[in-house]
Amino acid sequence: MIKPPMHIAKEKEVEAIGFPMVPEAELLNQAKEKLKHMKESMRSLMVMLETCTKCGNCAQQCHSYLGTQDYNNFPAARAELMRRVYKRYFTLQGKLFGSFAGAEDFDAETLTKWLTYFYQCNECRRCAVFCPFGIDTAEVTIAARHILSELGIMPRFMQGIAVNMIKTGNNMGLPAPAIIDNAEFMEDEILEETGIVVKVPIDKPNSDVLYVPSSADFFTNIDTMIGAAKMFHMLGLNWTISSAILEAANFGLLFNLDVMEEHNKRIVNEAKKFGAKLVIQGECGHGWRAAKMYTEGASGPVPFEIKHVLEVAAENIDRLPHKKLSMRVTLHDPCNYGRGGNIIEQPRKILRTIVDDFVEMTPNREENFCCGGGSGLLMDEMKDIRMQLGKKKFEQVQALGKLDYFAIPCSICKAQLPTVMEHYGNNDLKMGGLMDLVGKSLIIS
Amino acid sequence: MMYFTGQILPYIAVAVFIAGVTYRVMTWLKAPVPFQLTLFPAPNTSAGRTAALAKELLFFSSLRRGDKTLWFWAWLMHISLAMIIAGHAVGIYFLTHQFTLIGMTEAASSKMSATLGIIAGIGFIAALAMLLYRRISIPEVRRLSDPADYFDIALLLAVLLTGMMMRAPGVHVDLVSIREYLGSLIMLSPKNMQLDSLFVIHFFLINVLMIYFPFSKLIHMAGFFVNRSMLLEAEPVYPTPAGVMRDARVLKKRSVK
Repeated sequence: MIKPPMHIAKEKEVEAIGFPMVPEAELLNQAKEKLKHMKESMRSLMVMLETCTKCGNCAQQCHSYLGTQDYNNFPAARAELMRRVYKRYFTLQGKLFGSFAGAEDFDAETLTKWLTYFYQCNECRRCAVFCPFGIDTAEVTIAARHILSELGIMPRFMQGIAVNMIKTGNNMGLPAPAIIDNAEFMEDEILEETGIVVKVPIDKPNSDVLYVPSSADFFTNIDTMIGAAKMFHMLGLNWTISSAILEAANFGLLFNLDVMEEHNKRIVNEAKKFGAKLVIQGECGHGWRAAKMYTEGASGPVPFEIKHVLEVAAENIDRLPHKKLSMRVTLHDPCNYGRGGNIIEQPRKILRTIVDDFVEMTPNREENFCCGGGSGLLMDEMKDIRMQLGKKKFEQVQALGKLDYFAIPCSICKAQLPTVMEHYGNNDLKMGGLMDLVGKSLIIS
Repeated sequence: MMYFTGQILPYIAVAVFIAGVTYRVMTWLKAPVPFQLTLFPAPNTSAGRTAALAKELLFFSSLRRGDKTLWFWAWLMHISLAMIIAGHAVGIYFLTHQFTLIGMTEAASSKMSATLGIIAGIGFIAALAMLLYRRISIPEVRRLSDPADYFDIALLLAVLLTGMMMRAPGVHVDLVSIREYLGSLIMLSPKNMQLDSLFVIHFFLINVLMIYFPFSKLIHMAGFFVNRSMLLEAEPVYPTPAGVMRDARVLKKRSVK
C-alpha cells in the first residue's frame, strides 16, 4: 500500500470545517455514489472520462510527469485512476468486459492513489492544450479532490486554510486589527518613499471598487499591494479592501467546490455591501480563474464587473506617468491567467511599457509550464515532490541567462519559485509580482 | 445463418450504432456545465469558434503541437478512413464510374477509383500498424493500454484487410450484385446474400464494428465535438446579463460551523 505524501486532516479537524468523516466501512460505497453524482453534475467529467483514446500525447507535456517520472503522474494515467472505476460501474463496456476494457473494482488502494496522485496534479491544464480532444485532467482532479473531501479525506494544509477562511476571511488567518495595521504600514512605506499620501483603505463604505488582493500581499508580498495601491491612487479610484474577504486565493477550487462557492459568495456579498460596481482581483492565479470563470455558476447573476488588476494596469499604464526601469525581465505565465483566465497579452504589454529589456521564456503563453506549486501544493511535507514539479520551470528560466527580475504575478508562484530556484542552485535571481514593478515605475503625485 | 447475417444483422447493427451513439451523446448533454471551462486563448465570435473546431477536426492542430510523429500517423489514419468511407459511398453507387462526372472515360474512372482506394487502404493499414507499434514500444503507452485497445486495432485491421483482399489479383468481386444487395437493404426489402464469401466476411465485420462502436473508445468521434465545444464556450460576462442562469447542481448546501 502506498503512503500519501501529505499530512491528512484528522476527524475533528474535518468536522471543524463542516465535513462529516465517513467511516471506513462505508468509504467505497459512498465514493461510488459521489462519483455518480459528480458525473451527472459535470458534463466535462463524463465526456473526459469517456473520450480518451490513450494515445499518450500528454505524457511528455506534463511537468509533473517529467519532473517525478512517476507513471501515475502522466495525465492519462492519472485520469485512469478514476476512469477505471468509472468504467466498471457506469459504462456498459466496463460492466460487460471488465478488465478487458480497462475497468476495475473500487478498492481502498484506489482511494489512496487518488489522494496521492490527484494531489500531485497542479491543475495547470497544459495537457488539455495538447490533447486532440482537449481532455483537461484538471477537471478530473477537481472532481477527485471534491469527492475525497466529501468523504472527509483532505490534506491538513487545505483544512487549515479553510479554518482560517471561516474565522478571518483570509487564508493567512490575519484578524481585522492586523489587516488595518499592515495597511497603515504600507501607507507609511509609500509616504517615506515618495512623500505622497496614498491610502490603502480597509472597509471604506460606499466604494465603487472592491479590491480583492491575495492575503500574502499583506504579509510577504507587500510590494505587490503597494504597486496596486499606487496605481489606484493615480487612477483616482474610489476603492476599498474588505477585511471580510482579504483573499483572492480561493482554495475551495482546489479541494472542495462547496467551499469554493462559499468563498465566491463572500466576495459577491462584500461587493454588494460596499456598493461596488467593479471587483478587481489581485495577483493570484487560481483565484482569478475562480472569480472569472466560476462566479456565474457559483453566485450568479452578479450586478458588478470583474477585472484583474493586470487588466486594469494594461489598459491604463500608457497614460499614467511612469519611468522605464532599466532591467532584464522575464515573465512566467501563471496557468490560471493564460490557459485558465485569458490574461495573456496584458502582462506583456505592461512589461514592454515599463522595462527596457523584456525577454520571453520558451515555451510561453498557453504552452507555458506550471511553477509546480499550482493547485495549492504548498505544504512543507511535499517540498521534495514540489521541487520535482518545478524542475521544468527552473530549466526554462536558466536557459535565459542573466536576468534582473523574474515576474511571477501569482501568490502560489511567489511561494514556490524562490524555493525552486534556490533548490536547483540559482540563489541570486530577484523575483516577485508584476504590480511590484508597476509600483516602481509609476511616478506618483 | 446467411439469412441472419445478410438480412437481419445489418438492421441490428445500424440500429445499435445510431441508438448507441445518440444515447451516449444525450447522456453527456443532459449533464450541465456548471462553470465555463474555456481554454484560452479562445476565439470570441461564433464564426471564430466554428473555424477553430473545423481546424481541430481537419488538421488535429492540438495533437500537432505535441508529438509530430504521432500526429502524422493519427492524421493519416483518419484522413484515409474518410477517403475510404466516401469512396465506398460513391464507388458502389456509381459502380466506380463516379469520375465520369468530371469528364473521365468509364475505364479511366474505374482505374482512378481503384488507385485512390488502394492508396487510402495502404495509408490506413500503415498508420494503424505504426500506431500499434507505438502503443507497444513506448513504455508509458504500453502500460496504459488494455486488451480492448489492441482489440480495436485488430478489428479495424481485419475490416481493412478483407476489404483490400477483394482487390487482389485473381479475385473477382461482383460489384453489380453487391450494389443490388446493398440497395435492397436500404429499400428495406433485403435480398438473399448470394455473394462472394470475402465480401460476406468483410460486411459481417463491419456490422460487428458498428455494434461495438458506441460502447468502445471509438466513441471519441462524438466526444470530440462535445468536449471541444465546452472548451470553446464563450467566457462569462460581468455584470451578468439578464436571463443568464447556470445549472450548478454539483454544488450542494452545506452547513458551516
